[in-house]
Amino acid sequence: MKSQGLSWVRVVSLVLLLGLGAGHWTACTSERPEVVDETVNRQVEMIRLPMGFVANVQFAPWYVAVERGYFADEGIVLSFDYSWETDGVRLVGAGELPFAIASGDQVLLARAQDLPVVTVVNWFRRFPVAIVALKESGIRSPRDLQGHKLGIPETFGASYIGWQALRTAVGLEDTDVQLEVIGYTALANLTTGQVDAAVVYANNEPIQLTQSGHDITLIPVADYATLVSNGLITNERTLQERPQLVRAMARAFLRGLSDTLADPDTAFEICQQYVEGLDTPENTRMQRVVLEATLPYWQGDPLGWSDLAAWQQTAEVMQAAGLLTESVSVEAAFSNEYLP
Amino acid sequence: MKRQKVRKPKWMGQGASVGLSMGLFLLIWQGVIWLGEYPTFILPSPSAVCERWGDLIANGALWLHTAVTLREVLLGLGLGALTAIVLGYLLVHSPPAERLLTPYIVASQSVPTVAVAPLLVIWFGTGTFSKVLVCALIVFFPILMNTMVGVRSVSRDLRDLMRTLEANRWQMLWLLEVPASLPVLLSGLKMGATLSVIGAVVGEFVASDRGLGYLLKQGQQLYDTPLVFVGIGTLVILAQSLYGIVALGEYALSRWQRAV
Repeated sequence: MKSQGLSWVRVVSLVLLLGLGAGHWTACTSERPEVVDETVNRQVEMIRLPMGFVANVQFAPWYVAVERGYFADEGIVLSFDYSWETDGVRLVGAGELPFAIASGDQVLLARAQDLPVVTVVNWFRRFPVAIVALKESGIRSPRDLQGHKLGIPETFGASYIGWQALRTAVGLEDTDVQLEVIGYTALANLTTGQVDAAVVYANNEPIQLTQSGHDITLIPVADYATLVSNGLITNERTLQERPQLVRAMARAFLRGLSDTLADPDTAFEICQQYVEGLDTPENTRMQRVVLEATLPYWQGDPLGWSDLAAWQQTAEVMQAAGLLTESVSVEAAFSNEYLP
Repeated sequence: MKRQKVRKPKWMGQGASVGLSMGLFLLIWQGVIWLGEYPTFILPSPSAVCERWGDLIANGALWLHTAVTLREVLLGLGLGALTAIVLGYLLVHSPPAERLLTPYIVASQSVPTVAVAPLLVIWFGTGTFSKVLVCALIVFFPILMNTMVGVRSVSRDLRDLMRTLEANRWQMLWLLEVPASLPVLLSGLKMGATLSVIGAVVGEFVASDRGLGYLLKQGQQLYDTPLVFVGIGTLVILAQSLYGIVALGEYALSRWQRAV
């Protein structure tokens, strides 16, 4: 019996070591996913891009760039991976993937934990988080929130950072507002009166509320603070070893972004090939409004440009909120060098 | 003269096995880090996790989060177990009710709890109750099934004997069905005890600002992998402790069976 017990331990240890060893070997030997495009006889780069959210009309510039062949022009075959934002950042930080979409706060948090990620295209030029309240609540400005119950998805992440920046900008204390974590249930909580206002994405829940006939007050955080939002990130190794690839990605995406801003109707039609549920008139109308509401958040001159002051303010807000405890070099977290 | 071999107590042998397997596990873990040279955000070392664990214990955060989750688990397990045991007993004794309700009960098991949890938060608010309900839902089915199997396993001869002795319904329940079905029922409760921890975490993942599920989510969001490991480790200890308590109860309550 003793020998059986011992062999069991041996088998488990062996399986664990072999499994982990195989994983390590695979990671070490994984090659760049390049194939040869025989029609033009050149190397084609296969890139899987973690998007951080489900397929959505807010990804219109990416879909436009793919459909119009802007990535193909750069020798890139792009596929979309609708996984969690933090997973994408980890994969890029670990060097397993070259690119992902992630917000500026995630880049700072990741760098604080030694993940060498860098934003190379600052896609959202305005921070899309806002406070929404029903008109009947009497809330018209940030200071009116005093004494009210404010719903927030989490006590970390973009929503929380947005709230902290707004609160600081208007001189409210944490204790002035009754903050309640409600997950992503703002609509239900607002319409049933469980909270008086909620921290939301300006281009999402407010549109759903107005489309369902509610009068609302919208307080965009971007009117009070300049923070960094979603962008294209890469890692330091890719920047050093493959700067041309980074430039190619940035160029192709920005062409798609420019086209989307110039012709949102066509961009929306392209989205219908990628986004499920756009086959009913009601959904189509709603999502068209979502796209229209998102456009101002991307506009800027030049497109994709990162502003040092915005990164600094984001880092300061995160430090004040206790989210960023390690010191992070803000300058190393982004680069405008790869923009066309 | 032949020397009498001194036998060690059984628990000492078990303790040594647990210690040995834990030691081996930690050794393999550390070995993987040495071999792979993984950074902390991919795989933290045992010492980095222990250090983080120590920090959270020292500043009181771990106690706070564990207490919140434990409260949800105990309330959820209590509610789920009570409902499942009562319903299981009634279904065994009412075949029409069993035929009517079984399809719904089985169907309820195919509904993913992670999909229902956000709805429970919308319907019942973001407080403790919605998390307790998620726990109760998760533990309900295994306890219900074990209750039904347990009550059905009572031998017909014993039932006939009780009837011959003119036992009323309560005596039948208390003196025969409960003791006879206890081992199977407690097996279900052991399963439910471990599952209830998952229920609390699922509930906390949807909307919370405290609890071990919140701690896990915070670790993921902040790329603090040692914190994620601390959350997982504490949940494992919590589940093991609950399992152990039910197992102890099982041992104590089934003493009469071992004596037979």
